[in-house]
Amino acid sequence: MKYSDADVAVIGSGPAGMAAAIRAKEEGAEHVLILERQEQLGGLLHQCVHNGFGLFYFGQDLTGPEYGHRFAEKVRDLGIRMLLETMVTRISPDRQITAVNNREGVLCLTPKSIVLAMGCRERSRGQLNVPGTRPAGIFTAGTAQRFVNVEGWIPGKKIVVLGSGDIGMIMARRLTIEGADVKAVVEILPYAGGLTRNEVQCLHDFNIPLLLEHTVTEIHGQQRLEAVTIAKVNKDKKPVNGTEQMIECDTLLLSVGLIPENELSRMAGVALDPLTGGPVVDQWRETNVSGIFAGGNVVHVHDLVDDVSWEAEIAGSSAARFVKKEEMEKEKKILKLGRNIRYVVPQTISAQHDVTLYARVRDMEEHVTLKVGDIVSKSLRVVKPGEMLKIDLSRSQLKQLKDDAAELSIESAKRRQNG
Amino acid sequence: MRLNYPLRVQKGGKMVEENIVCIGCPLGCRTSLRIDHHGDVAKITGYKCKEGRQYVLEEYRNPVRIFTTTVLTEKSSRPLLPVRTNRPILKSRLKEATLTLVRVKVKPPVKVGRVILPNLLNSGVDVVATDDLLE
Repeated sequence: MKYSDADVAVIGSGPAGMAAAIRAKEEGAEHVLILERQEQLGGLLHQCVHNGFGLFYFGQDLTGPEYGHRFAEKVRDLGIRMLLETMVTRISPDRQITAVNNREGVLCLTPKSIVLAMGCRERSRGQLNVPGTRPAGIFTAGTAQRFVNVEGWIPGKKIVVLGSGDIGMIMARRLTIEGADVKAVVEILPYAGGLTRNEVQCLHDFNIPLLLEHTVTEIHGQQRLEAVTIAKVNKDKKPVNGTEQMIECDTLLLSVGLIPENELSRMAGVALDPLTGGPVVDQWRETNVSGIFAGGNVVHVHDLVDDVSWEAEIAGSSAARFVKKEEMEKEKKILKLGRNIRYVVPQTISAQHDVTLYARVRDMEEHVTLKVGDIVSKSLRVVKPGEMLKIDLSRSQLKQLKDDAAELSIESAKRRQNG
Repeated sequence: MRLNYPLRVQKGGKMVEENIVCIGCPLGCRTSLRIDHHGDVAKITGYKCKEGRQYVLEEYRNPVRIFTTTVLTEKSSRPLLPVRTNRPILKSRLKEATLTLVRVKVKPPVKVGRVILPNLLNSGVDVVATDDLLE
């Protein structure tokens, strides 16, 4: 069996890639191949040594490495082939993969189907435009996480974290445990960006100040970071004159958002949704390019790893069905974005099968009603951009959909009373 | 600077107020507990559901956490091995746990789940490996 004629080729072996490969194999794809650029399976899970993984998928509170270990064992038990330390450099619209490693050199593969599971990467300083000098000591939170948890280096001793994403808050705790002084987590929004659980267990537990409605306005230092200036922001998120204060620090961590990694998808001609940063997918997680599927953080950035694996399983299962030439229901209904909905995945549904929608709101709101066309109306106490909405729709509910499109919206209780 | 973490506030000499944020749902209710001089909860305010009230009570009476960190390795190509407590430990002992595990070194081979340090701080809780360690 050669690598070149796989039934399903999975790009990436994080929580999405492994789940997709396992499900593809279980659904009858004979030759499943994982392509992974690192020397081992697991992707980012190795550096996520904290717990909170698998609460829903396994019903157990696992750490990242433990979560990955379970999937990796299954990958091996099922005899799924893998090419490690292998970097995919190109995918063409006719599903040809070019990859490179230091054993075989350049490889050309022509799998029958492909699952994109490349995950996401962090926004960096270059995408933020923070004024000031360009000293050493500015890292993305995930880079610092790798230094501290895998390579055994502490990036600095006096830390400021910009952005209260989950990785930023987790690293604030992690660096405190390792003996650093975390001065503050600075968040431009009026509420923490990550999960409440992380706000409590990472910041409150260790008395780390969370400065809401603040941002970093200047970076100081020549060789090494020496201080940052922070300031309060107004409603338009612009710094307010006179509120500046300087915090002495040698390290600034950035936890300011994640971007799905889709350079390969673009080369393959996969259409991307500007709102998610990931491929436009249907219910089966198939992209606009026939035979190319996608799942996990490459499609949209999830809050919980459990959802990443579940979504990738849909992609893996669909890829196997594609190989077996099974008919997939293609009647498409479009999901439209209504009031206070930033995005929804999948972007289209078949309306013939049960489906779970994943959506994010634009703004935080309390006491609202979530609506899907006129088939769902659900009261929610609060919606937050940082907490993804999951909406299960059954086949019988979907049968009531009359139009070719359904609109998702968040209606505020106030508006209802007034109108 | 506005601090967003719970503060113990002494009020009127005898009653103490404790602030706890509920983590049960995205709402993140900021609750207040009035504690009488016996250390018993006299009143809880700020919660919005039964589960939240229960969580806050439990978090006041017995605040526990799973502790995760890394320990140093010897004779391995990996400098660190990730570890965790197999059961939660008291929140107030996280710092001691850190200082204890700083002194621990492990040699390969280690399989995931192996006890690295038994009976951490005499708590009856074991510290276990969360990944394999090869040579």
